[in-house]
Amino acid sequence: MARTDVVIAGYAETRVVYQSGRSAYDFAGLALSELLGKTGIAKDEIDGLSVTLALSEGSNPFFAVYMADALGLTPTWLNVGGIGGCSAAGGVARAMWAIREGACRIAVVLSADAPSTAFRANYGAYRPEFQDPQGVQGPPATFGLLMSRYDHQYGLDPRALGKIAVTQRAHALRNPNALDKFRKPLTMDDYLASRPIADPLRVLDCVMYCDGANAFLVMSAEEARARGIEKVAHPTAYAEVTNHNGADPLADITDSGFYRIAPKVFAKAGLTPAGIGMFQPYDDFTIAVLMQLEAFGFCAPGEGSAFVRDTDLSFTGTLPLNTGGGQISAGQPGLASGGLNLAEAVRQLFGEGGERQVPGVRNALVTGIGVIPYGRNWGCSAAMILEV
Amino acid sequence: MAETEGRLVPAANRYVPSQPFWDGAREGRLMLQMCLDTGRFQHPPHPLSVYTGSQNVEWRQVSGLGSIYAVTVVRVPGPGLAGRLPLIVATVELVEGVRLIANIIDSAAESVRIGAAVELAWDHLGDGTPYPAFRTLAQGVADAQD
Repeated sequence: MARTDVVIAGYAETRVVYQSGRSAYDFAGLALSELLGKTGIAKDEIDGLSVTLALSEGSNPFFAVYMADALGLTPTWLNVGGIGGCSAAGGVARAMWAIREGACRIAVVLSADAPSTAFRANYGAYRPEFQDPQGVQGPPATFGLLMSRYDHQYGLDPRALGKIAVTQRAHALRNPNALDKFRKPLTMDDYLASRPIADPLRVLDCVMYCDGANAFLVMSAEEARARGIEKVAHPTAYAEVTNHNGADPLADITDSGFYRIAPKVFAKAGLTPAGIGMFQPYDDFTIAVLMQLEAFGFCAPGEGSAFVRDTDLSFTGTLPLNTGGGQISAGQPGLASGGLNLAEAVRQLFGEGGERQVPGVRNALVTGIGVIPYGRNWGCSAAMILEV
Repeated sequence: MAETEGRLVPAANRYVPSQPFWDGAREGRLMLQMCLDTGRFQHPPHPLSVYTGSQNVEWRQVSGLGSIYAVTVVRVPGPGLAGRLPLIVATVELVEGVRLIANIIDSAAESVRIGAAVELAWDHLGDGTPYPAFRTLAQGVADAQD
């Protein structure tokens, strides 16, 4: 029986904006204010804080402490989310552990970033010597490599990736928080005609760096009841893995960490892929969505293209996919992006999906991806199942 | 000199001691890190053997022969890419059992495909420092991957 003693008792999300001119701190203030307003929690009651590291503040090793200062919070439990797009779900999981341990009672999991205004991250490590000279500074080249290998092994249908892009764009049109630029319809022809940037990767397979923030309130179910908070979501399963196959230089690069954690979250929640009401996967690139459909067993490895072609992925379909548009069509607020998929899941489970509400949905599978390592797929994989 | 001005020459030894890689490159030899306990190579280099956890690692010359495991063509501008687009980037699997990300140069476009046999070639960074790249071999030569 999955544990339901700690809950997500609220969420907040700012609009996604391109080159806002504002800082991650400023966006965090906006998200926290909205969260307090929506839940009726007083700021001084918050004694736990998880802060996702931000590209825009990447030069500050004390970012989380400065964030607590900026927001006027005095946490007795402070967590730094350093697993990129896994940090929102990972932060919620860690907050749950901290609450069960008694380290805090009311935690906020905060992700704010503004890389389209200021980019101050430098990954260092082996990259200057062994990756940058080849022209592989950004993720597109690595994803071009990954897609080429996937295509070689399994066959990759551009129309399947196009369907993911088109479906998510249709969802973004119904999401008032989505980036304005993306709030216009996209057709399959638009997708197929979009320019290649790292073959076979097209520009419409990719996200665009933006600015934004999101926040989640985590507390015990008992605490939420006592406060009269009626809408809660139960994170009934969470698993993550970092550096999957990291010590195997000849690993199949289409084998991601999701293959390792998918069985864990399904077992923990007592669910199967067929029982998942909506899928809100981390979507930095369309191929990542397709590969996750396979890793989580919605279809067999290599059958992602056919599955996407044959499945209604719209918010009223058989497997609603990234119902807010995902990062690809709502915009990617830097490393706060993992919270974008999570916020949409919580919003839907609270019945607040508005024009894109998934009818009668009772659970969600949400995932995170963090960092693009040397010549593989992604460095961190995380998954959470939420239920109401 | 748009072709090379962006190709910065990185400082050696900032991540792990890497001088043998750069010394080897200047002598036309591709040097990679090998775990002496297992005889297996690892790349990029690590501060210890990822196979055993010991620091019993040394830089050894590799053959420079292998095959293309994955390949893309970068078509968008970026740091260090001025004058180099479109740029062929491949993951090359060496016969020694390790992969490198490298540019494919001096090769007919139709020969650059997954499974194609490649050999070491030398490209150059901004100040002329040699940097490893690969070129495709005529068909029929060792096809290690597929």
